[in-house]
Amino acid sequence: MVETVHATFQVYRFTPGVDSSPRYVSYEFDLPPHTPVLSALLKIRQEIDPTLAMRYSCRSSICGSCAMVINSKSRLACQTQIGPELARHGRIVIDPMRNQPVARDLIVDQKPFWHDYERIDPHLIADPAHPMPEGQPNPMTPEQVDRFYETPRCIACGACYSACPAKEADPEFPGPMALAKLYRFVVDPRDGATRERLLKIQPGGLWTCLRCHLCTAACPKDVRPSERIRDLKELAIAAQGVTEAGSRHAVAFKENIYERGLLNEGKLARQTLGLAGTAAQLPQAMRILRKKPELLKSPPKIEGLAEVRKIYEMLEDEERSG
Amino acid sequence: MKFAYYPGCVAQESGKELDMATRWVSRKLGIELVEFPKFSCCGSGFIDEANLTLNVALNARNLALAEAAGLDLLTVCSTCTGMLTLANVKLKDPKMRAKIDPVLQQIGTSYRGTTKVRHLLHVLTEEFPPAQLKALVTRPLTGLKVGAFYGCHLLRPAEEYPTEEPEDPRQFEDLITALGATPVYYRGRVMCCGFPILFVKEGTANHIAGRQIQDAKAHGADAMATPCPLCHISLDAYQNKAEHEVHQALDMPVFHLPQLVGLALGARPEELGLSRHLVSVDGALAKIGTVTVPA
Repeated sequence: MVETVHATFQVYRFTPGVDSSPRYVSYEFDLPPHTPVLSALLKIRQEIDPTLAMRYSCRSSICGSCAMVINSKSRLACQTQIGPELARHGRIVIDPMRNQPVARDLIVDQKPFWHDYERIDPHLIADPAHPMPEGQPNPMTPEQVDRFYETPRCIACGACYSACPAKEADPEFPGPMALAKLYRFVVDPRDGATRERLLKIQPGGLWTCLRCHLCTAACPKDVRPSERIRDLKELAIAAQGVTEAGSRHAVAFKENIYERGLLNEGKLARQTLGLAGTAAQLPQAMRILRKKPELLKSPPKIEGLAEVRKIYEMLEDEERSG
Repeated sequence: MKFAYYPGCVAQESGKELDMATRWVSRKLGIELVEFPKFSCCGSGFIDEANLTLNVALNARNLALAEAAGLDLLTVCSTCTGMLTLANVKLKDPKMRAKIDPVLQQIGTSYRGTTKVRHLLHVLTEEFPPAQLKALVTRPLTGLKVGAFYGCHLLRPAEEYPTEEPEDPRQFEDLITALGATPVYYRGRVMCCGFPILFVKEGTANHIAGRQIQDAKAHGADAMATPCPLCHISLDAYQNKAEHEVHQALDMPVFHLPQLVGLALGARPEELGLSRHLVSVDGALAKIGTVTVPA
């Protein structure tokens, strides 16, 4: 006899153009605690309401079809068991993925997701100077493969895209999945368009990432998109220098700490924003300074600043030797 | 209980009230804060974008300083916690160690990896059982509905914090309950405050902050509280701009974590630097029967 738990599901239902607004429909069953949410949804469809719309296929965390929002987390329904969810929340609320329009019930229209993926040219671009050997393998060393070992695990489920607050706030941002895939091509030694790729993605693309790591928390395959985006930023600065407000900020921050060991907040704002940007910020700065006047002063230098500078000099040789 | 106190940059500058409140609460609870004037900035999620190895090396030095004194670090900023913990994680990789160890050797120090990085929130909830804390409360925050706002780097990446749920934590809410207030659960509590792009895409950053404050307000919060001074900048100092972006008056007081604890333990508002906030906390204080004194 398998032990069961009483499970309450609240499932988002909405057919655009037919329903005036979305609604939640409750379903209740006794089920074993190890039941995947996907199996419970299929049970609803088979036994109660055959009109419940959702995507699914493999039921084994391989196809990436059944991503949805379960108790406010973006994840795969086949990979989420009901027991821990009920223990923590008492019920299971199921919504469609975010950041994409609802087509019907739990199915979203993934056009924006695939459009953003296409923006990064998701295929190898041969280097004319080093053409790929015709009819021959083009081998990589284990060390070369190690650099992007995690990224090909991506199953394009869209959970990261759904979880991303930068995507939610700024439609121009391509989202974590596309950028993780971009990283994969940028570090692939067989690809000949590294610089072009980095140049193309930077305006409006790379530096909107908030490094909130919600994508990494959402990813069912541990691709760790937020870390790949960080790697891309470092590669972009190394390849092209400071071309964007975001890279200017990162480099200015680094330089700022070299001076005193601690952040000089007021100076950092001026460094990143430049003269015109700083002038535009004056009214806000005046408001803040009234309460926090110490922003006008430089903080003291830390003790042992020479050690910090030595670290910079050792790890940034070429830039500082002059 | 003794820690190497790592205030971070902002608590020593624009967020000085956080440092004041941390010291007050620590005195009250018998937490000894040892000063380390040699600590440098944690990199704040920016230096690593320009040079990850450099950032790990800077924090290896910070960690080694505490290690030499045999102390764990006490942090009061989600981002400092995340960056210092990231260094501890990265330094488990022998390839990273091979790059960092010679650098540390050059400055006459070494890293063994024994220093834990603990945020004040974790120390308060792990070292002080709720009943013990409750017994110390002299001004229960009864009737005050508080929306906790964690700050991303206190929660994620998750393997750095094995005890915490990266998208559904409860520690802060349990602490709020122990102080006599009522926690408010809302999606935004684990979301981003927008700070990392405040100087890069200001409108987007303000919009993101505005969304989280709106969310807390819609769920009935009288105030928010955060363990991160960078979130505090976004949520408090730039709240006027967030209001503009989301087209809604928000008027949401935002406490630093130790300010909320300090109030419950009987601190006077001026001891916690509450008048340094951009958004007045008077409405929230009135609810718990106290008032601010102008600075």
